Amino acid sequence: MAAPALEKLREHTGGYGNLTDAGEKVNILMVDDQPAKLLSYEVILAGLGENLIKATSATEALEHLLKKDIAIVLTDVSMPDIDGFDLAEMIRQHPRFQKTAIIFISGVHLTDVDRVKGYRQGAVDYITVPVIPELLRAKVSVFAELHRKRRQLETLNRHLEQRVAERTEELRERADLLELATEAIIVRELNGTITFWNSGAEELYGWRRHEAIGANIADLLRTRSIDGNADWQAELLANGTWEGNLLHITRDGREIIVASRQAVKAENHGSPGTLLEINRDITSKLQTEEALRKAERLAAMGRVAGIIAHEINNPLEAIINAFYLLRDHPSLDAEARKYARLGEQELVRISHIVRQTLGFYRESQQPTSVPIAEILDSVLELQSRHFQVNRIQLEKLYQADCHVFGFPVELKQVFLNLIGNAVQAMPDGGRLRMRVGEHTDPRTQVRGIAISICDTGAGISPEVSKRLFEPFFSTKAAKGTGLGLWISKGIVQKHEGTIHFRSVRTSSGGATCFRVFLPEHGPANLMKPSVIASDSGTRSNGGKLA
Amino acid sequence: MEASLPEAKALILCVDDEPIPLTLRKSVLEKWGFAVLAVRSGAEALAMIERQPVDLVLTDLLMPGLSGTELAREMKRLRPNIPVVLLSGVNEIPEDAEAADLFLSKVEGPVAMCNKISEMLNRSRAKSVSG
Repeated sequence: MAAPALEKLREHTGGYGNLTDAGEKVNILMVDDQPAKLLSYEVILAGLGENLIKATSATEALEHLLKKDIAIVLTDVSMPDIDGFDLAEMIRQHPRFQKTAIIFISGVHLTDVDRVKGYRQGAVDYITVPVIPELLRAKVSVFAELHRKRRQLETLNRHLEQRVAERTEELRERADLLELATEAIIVRELNGTITFWNSGAEELYGWRRHEAIGANIADLLRTRSIDGNADWQAELLANGTWEGNLLHITRDGREIIVASRQAVKAENHGSPGTLLEINRDITSKLQTEEALRKAERLAAMGRVAGIIAHEINNPLEAIINAFYLLRDHPSLDAEARKYARLGEQELVRISHIVRQTLGFYRESQQPTSVPIAEILDSVLELQSRHFQVNRIQLEKLYQADCHVFGFPVELKQVFLNLIGNAVQAMPDGGRLRMRVGEHTDPRTQVRGIAISICDTGAGISPEVSKRLFEPFFSTKAAKGTGLGLWISKGIVQKHEGTIHFRSVRTSSGGATCFRVFLPEHGPANLMKPSVIASDSGTRSNGGKLA
Repeated sequence: MEASLPEAKALILCVDDEPIPLTLRKSVLEKWGFAVLAVRSGAEALAMIERQPVDLVLTDLLMPGLSGTELAREMKRLRPNIPVVLLSGVNEIPEDAEAADLFLSKVEGPVAMCNKISEMLNRSRAKSVSG
């Protein structure tokens, strides 16, 4: 073979070699029973720069094969004991060596050539004697490059496999994230059939995955638009994306507001295929915002009430004093004094109303001794119109002189809520029974006052019972804030008291009893007032002059 | 209704920036048998206690210049033995009301007001006798 052709071959293989690890040598095992021949092969192949290993028998060759990664076996065919073909046979039987290249060196015998052709698979070649050095070098070089390439491919393969494994892991993690997302992630077809439903969706709507998948989303969630978003579906299809708030109904019938982001996922040929939506529950957020707005409104109302109360009270005091001076004035006759007294009486009513209606704002920071019966009566007075209109019978069973230490305005708020609820529970009349008495908590031995407020209204259903003290829970639709009992419970707990209720429902009606226990000592860790005569009342008359 | 104290009439210093309520309040107190001095500001009140043997100060809460609680604090510093009663149109007890000895709502009515003032005077006298 001409030298240029060989050069070309080497360039060719070398070209590939550059793609691989250029510096990595391969092992070439040379097998011949004649050391002189081994030496001559070594000389011929030295220029290739590979590792050359010599073996003088097939047995020795096999030992090397087992220990090292051999790229090429260069073997003499005729050797004593085990000849070259037998060695090749052994090598091929071992799975590790099936790809090992084998080059036989033999005299030109037809039989040998035929046998070589028998190795149809695998890298097998042969060289005839006398050995032409260039030819041997070229053949070995090709196999060496082949081996290197295969090794490179294997490495590449391993890398790829690792990348695939990593990527799979990433995707799995992302899928986990989808599952972990508290947001509901839903995929649906254009016709509304649900095809994906994550655990966030299960959590939010209460429908399990197997129940949701295959169902129609509009039927399942009873989607309704709010705030003039009626055309949202058309917008979604036209723009490819849509964002806004929607109303959904959960499995247990709760109405929730979700912030929804939706996108159309196009199919390969461009026509819309599936719709992705991600929904977040913002019901409580909106409710909290609404409650805050309400609280701010209340605070503003409180400030206004304070100003109005002050502006009314100042002249009112003057007028009351004027009538007081008039009613016994010696210059007036009996009839004029009577008019003055009547005027004074009516003024007392006005001052009372001002105190009752404009007095509900900022509580003094210090707890005082609170007369429970008086507080209850003031609340009953506020509700007195309802008692008449709704034909509610009132039963009062007060033990005399029950006081607790606490915040009167806040406690009044509690009873206003409880009595207000009781009255509202009896729109068609009924009986309200209020009981106040001393009580000792059997568990803690804490002494205090127990107040029970019982109505003969419709009663409270078990489902409602569970949620009664939750914030924003209301059975009064738009009329209630859903905060009354929650706030009441907070106030009672602040006083280290307890609040419980019992309710029965029968076909003929029901009854509900709220029971509040307030310890005498009131809120712990609070200073008692030093100078303010808050228990002033009207009991004292020791210093009366007249 | 008229009655007099066993000893000399108690002298009440009545403070309010509004003249009409002040005049009427003064009349009511006088009708109950108190001697009354009426002034229109906290500063005038502080000047008055230097000149007159005042037994009790009855002051409005919200006034220009010295407020009722500021006057009460000043009184406690200068003349701690003279009780100070705060009278206010607001329905709540202000947070710094402890400067005064008693807090009264204006609309509790003349009878309650006079009763509480008498009570306060009796307590104050008992304290000065025993102390």
